[in-house]
Amino acid sequence: MLEGITIGQYVPGDSPVHTLDPRVKLVATVVLITVLFLINSFAGYGLIAAFLVGVFAVARLPVRYVWRGLRPLLFIVLLTVVLNMLMTPGQVWAKWGPFTITDAGVIRGSQMGLRLILLVVATSLLTLATSPISLTDGIESLLRPFRRVGVPAHELAMMMTIALRFIPTLLEETDKIIKAQMARGADFESGNLLRRARNMIPLLVPLFLSAFRRADELATAMESRCYRGGEGRTRLRALVLTRRDVAVLSAVVVFSVAVAVIF
Amino acid sequence: MLLTALMAGLTAAMALLRIPLPWTPVPVTGQTLAVILAGALLGPRWGALSQAIYVAMGLAGLPVFAGGQAGLPAVLGPTGGYIWGFPAGAWVVGRLLPPRQAPGWARAFLASLAGGVGVVYLLGVPWLALEAGLGLKQALIAGAVPFLPGDLLKCLAASAILPRLCRILHPFRSAGCTGEGG
Repeated sequence: MLEGITIGQYVPGDSPVHTLDPRVKLVATVVLITVLFLINSFAGYGLIAAFLVGVFAVARLPVRYVWRGLRPLLFIVLLTVVLNMLMTPGQVWAKWGPFTITDAGVIRGSQMGLRLILLVVATSLLTLATSPISLTDGIESLLRPFRRVGVPAHELAMMMTIALRFIPTLLEETDKIIKAQMARGADFESGNLLRRARNMIPLLVPLFLSAFRRADELATAMESRCYRGGEGRTRLRALVLTRRDVAVLSAVVVFSVAVAVIF
Repeated sequence: MLLTALMAGLTAAMALLRIPLPWTPVPVTGQTLAVILAGALLGPRWGALSQAIYVAMGLAGLPVFAGGQAGLPAVLGPTGGYIWGFPAGAWVVGRLLPPRQAPGWARAFLASLAGGVGVVYLLGVPWLALEAGLGLKQALIAGAVPFLPGDLLKCLAASAILPRLCRILHPFRSAGCTGEGG
């Protein structure tokens, strides 16, 4: 029922892409995605694809990770291509029953498909070459300017780190409860749908109960250690923007703007 | 606050719980159930926040979404609208349920239906239509109809669990249907 304890997508490494400041990588990815939505010509997509291939090579990431990121979305990509092919009016190429394939449809369909694939590749690049912890740090730091309008940047990052830390614990707990209830005769694997939904109840109630208990214990532990976040807290790893970071970021922005303007 | 964090973790754990359905490739996952329960147990504000953190974790590259998906592709991809619907859905569920008391069965069901299903689809389906270049009707067929039976069941399960869970959780100071979230 549980597909094993999962590990992050992050591939550890020390390539130039890995050591880049997480803030730079975040901003660069957002810029690239925006460009992908602005352009609609094969030349533009080709340029972006070439750029991504280059970054993958520099990051020394195995190509099969690209495939792993794409696989779950393959169905949606195919659906997009096919539906666009059939639904776009234009010069008719082939006709079969109620389906017509037009020239405009083929072009639009393959462009939409390409766009989706590039979107996935660009974004998985970010998560493949950046550890979740440094991404969290990056997000916190990028959100800090918004604190004035009420975004609790530090608290958000803290909650995220805690949640990260507790996922394996909670998964283990779920597994334990499933086994405990099965030992008491609970059946999670058979019966019709309604029955299965009902059978989830003896699993969910203890699961939530234990999560609440853990939160309570954690709160006590943190209070007794006088934790208070935000202002004046020092960090073990501080983010420093180096000259290289600035150079890379400006290069990506210039490239993206150029592509967006030309295509 | 801590409870909110754990709730986000719990959502991730529940996304991995799955009941495969024989007639569609789309399995029923515990995600929307977690959305509903987060909203109901933590109240609108903290419930929504816990789901926002869940989304943020996915963004940071942890395979916390259904089927072990993760990262920006999942959130900005064609099915990303549903994910954005989670915080909004939790907020609506929290809003519709009375604070500081265990809701009745029917009320819990209606709130789950509105928040956990209505709001999530409201954001998910148009996003799918936009991104995959589909019409609204096609998007409904691809992105709502296969999930509906499962989601209805989850609402039923949520409404069965909620009154019970609220009573059990009452002694905890950090929350328990108080709408405070600790």
